[in-house]
Amino acid sequence: MNEFIAKIEGHGNLTIDWEKNQVKLNIHEGERLFEGLLVGRTAEEMYWITPRICGICPIAHNLASLAAVEDALGIKVNSTTILLRDLMQCGQMIQSHALHLFFLSLPDYLGIDRGTELAQKNPEAFKSALALKGISDEIAEIIAGRSVHPTRTTIGGFHKIPFKSVLEKLLNKLKKTEKDAKNALELVSKIDFPELKVELQLAAQDNGLIIAVSSNNIKGRKESSIRNYKEVIEEEVRDYSTAKFGKYRGEEMLVGSLARLAVYGDYDKKYEIDFGNPFHNNLAQAIEILTYHQKAQKIIEQLLDTGMDKKVIKSSKNSSFKGIGATEAPRGGLYHEVHLDKDNIITHANIITPTVQNLTSIEKSANALLKQTKNRSKKEIERLLVMLVRAYDPCITCSVH
Amino acid sequence: MQKPKISIYDFTDCEGCQIKLIALKEKFLILGKRVDIVNWRLGQENNESGPFDISIIEGAPITQYEIDLLKKLRKESKVLIGLGSCATLGGIPGIIDKAQRKKWYKKIYGDNYRPRGVDALPLSAYVKVDFLIHGCPINENEVIQAMEDLLAGKEPKYCDYSVCFECKQANNPCRLLDNFPCLGPIIQGGCNAICISGGSPCYGCFGLREDAEKKNLIKILEKITDQKEIDRYFSMFLNKVNK
Repeated sequence: MNEFIAKIEGHGNLTIDWEKNQVKLNIHEGERLFEGLLVGRTAEEMYWITPRICGICPIAHNLASLAAVEDALGIKVNSTTILLRDLMQCGQMIQSHALHLFFLSLPDYLGIDRGTELAQKNPEAFKSALALKGISDEIAEIIAGRSVHPTRTTIGGFHKIPFKSVLEKLLNKLKKTEKDAKNALELVSKIDFPELKVELQLAAQDNGLIIAVSSNNIKGRKESSIRNYKEVIEEEVRDYSTAKFGKYRGEEMLVGSLARLAVYGDYDKKYEIDFGNPFHNNLAQAIEILTYHQKAQKIIEQLLDTGMDKKVIKSSKNSSFKGIGATEAPRGGLYHEVHLDKDNIITHANIITPTVQNLTSIEKSANALLKQTKNRSKKEIERLLVMLVRAYDPCITCSVH
Repeated sequence: MQKPKISIYDFTDCEGCQIKLIALKEKFLILGKRVDIVNWRLGQENNESGPFDISIIEGAPITQYEIDLLKKLRKESKVLIGLGSCATLGGIPGIIDKAQRKKWYKKIYGDNYRPRGVDALPLSAYVKVDFLIHGCPINENEVIQAMEDLLAGKEPKYCDYSVCFECKQANNPCRLLDNFPCLGPIIQGGCNAICISGGSPCYGCFGLREDAEKKNLIKILEKITDQKEIDRYFSMFLNKVNK
C-alpha cells in the first residue's frame, strides 16, 4: 500500500494514471458502522455517540443529531438555546479552520513541514494560531462543556447554561483576539495559490434549503428542500473506498467554506476569490475565521442583552418519530436522519457527511490539475495533487462513519 | 544525549485525542522539545520508520492492515502506549459486535461491497500494551504526566481512585442518589468527572478501575432502571472489555 497522505484527517492516498490523466482517491479508513451501532440505542444516546464520528467537528455532529431528534419529537427549542448552539457552531468553525490552516495546510504554502515550525518562521502568526485555537476551544468548553465531544447539550436545550459573568469574560477575550483572526486572514490573503479551473456545483444550507451554484456562474441559484437531502445528494459505493462518494444531482459538488461564501456572498469583496479554484478554499476558511469570530461576539452581546432562559423543552404529543437534522459543519453540509419507536429507541439512522460530498470533486479537480499543469516533473505534480487534497480539508474520518 | 524517538499513530477513530494533544498548545511545544517526534502522519510529512523509543497509538485496529501494522509497531517500539478509549477499550466502534458487522455492511454499503473491517477491538486484543491513557476524549494532562514519568525513567501510574472521588471534588450532586444511572463508582478517575459536571452520565470511557465492585453497582442500578438500560451503559465504551 502507498503511504497515506500526511496532514489530513483520516487515511487515504492517490493512484495516478499518468496516461489517462486520471486520479483515484483511495480511502482506507476502517468502517465503524455508526448507522448500525445507533440502532437500538436511545434518542438521548444519539447526540452522545455521533460526535465520536469526528474529533475535529464533534460539535457539528452533536448539533445535527440534536436537531434530528428534536424534529422527530416535535420539539421547538427556545431562543436562548438557538443562540447558544449558534455560538457553539462559531467556536466549532474557528477550531476546525484554525487547526486545518495552521497545522495542516499552511505549511505547504510556507515551505515548512509541520505547523510547530511556524513558531520560528513566523512567531507572530504562530501566536495568532495558538490564540485562535485557544479562544475557540474556550467557546466550546464554556458552552458545550468540553473542547472535544460536548457534555452540556441535551434534547430540547442544555443541561447547564453559562453564567452571565462567564460570558462577559469570554466576550472580552474575543475582543482581544479579533486581531489574531485579522492576522490569520492577512497572512492567508497574501498566498499565491496554484492555478486551477474546475466546474463544480458549490452547495450550502440556508434556511431549510440546500442552495447550489455553479463555480462558473454563482448567480444562478438552484434551491432544494433539506427534507429531500437524499435525492439531492446521491451517494455511490466505489470499490477503492470505504467511504461513499456523493454528487449533487449527478454532478460533482464542493461543500464547505468556499461554497458557503459563493452561496451567502457575505464577505469583503476586496478578497478576490476564484470559486472555480478549490485551492481558494483556504482563503475562504481564513475569511470565515474572522466572520465567525465577529458573529460569536454579536451572539454573546445578544445573550447578555436579552437575558437567558434555561428551560429545556419537552417532546410534543404530536411527534412524528422521524426527524432530519442538518447543519453547516466546518467542511460543509451535514445531514443526520433518525427514526424512533414510541419508547424513543432508534430504529433507523442515516448520516451524510460533508467530506462524502467533496470526494467526487476532489477527484475531478485532481484530474483537471493533471491536464492543466504543464512542464512540471511527476514529482512536482504529485506534490501539487497532495496540496490540492489538503486544500479541500477532507475529513476522511467523517466520510467513513 | 539523543532525545527519545517518538511516533504517534492513528488507527480507525475520530482523531479527537490527537486534537486534544494540539489543545495543549504551549505545553505541547515544551514537551516537544524534550523528545523527537519522528513519525506523526497527522502533524507532519517528514516521517521516519522505526525503531521508536515510545509509540503512542490512537484508535482501534479495525482493518487487517491496521492489525498487522500494530504488530509491527509493537516489535519496533520499546514502549507502546494506547491513547484514548478506541485504543484502550475498543470504545464507541466496539459497540458493534463482530457477528453483526456483516448485516450492517450489507445495509449500509449494499450486496457487492468488499468490507475491510474485521472487528473493533482494543490494542491489547493483539499485542502487549505498556500503558493505557483512557478517555473519550483523553484528559490531555494525563499525557504530559505519563510522558514526564517515562522521560524520568519511571513507570507511569494509573489513578488509584474512581470517578466518584473527582465528582465529589467537583461538587456535583450524586447521580445514583438522585436515581440516575452512573458508572462512576467502578470507573478509573483522571477525567475530573467532566461529563457529570456538564450534566451528562458517566458511561465509563476511562475503563474499569482495579477491584471494581461491578456486581454491587449493578445491584444499585437494578433499583434505578431496567436491564436494557444497564446493558446500554455497559456497552457504550466497555462492550469489548467487559465480558
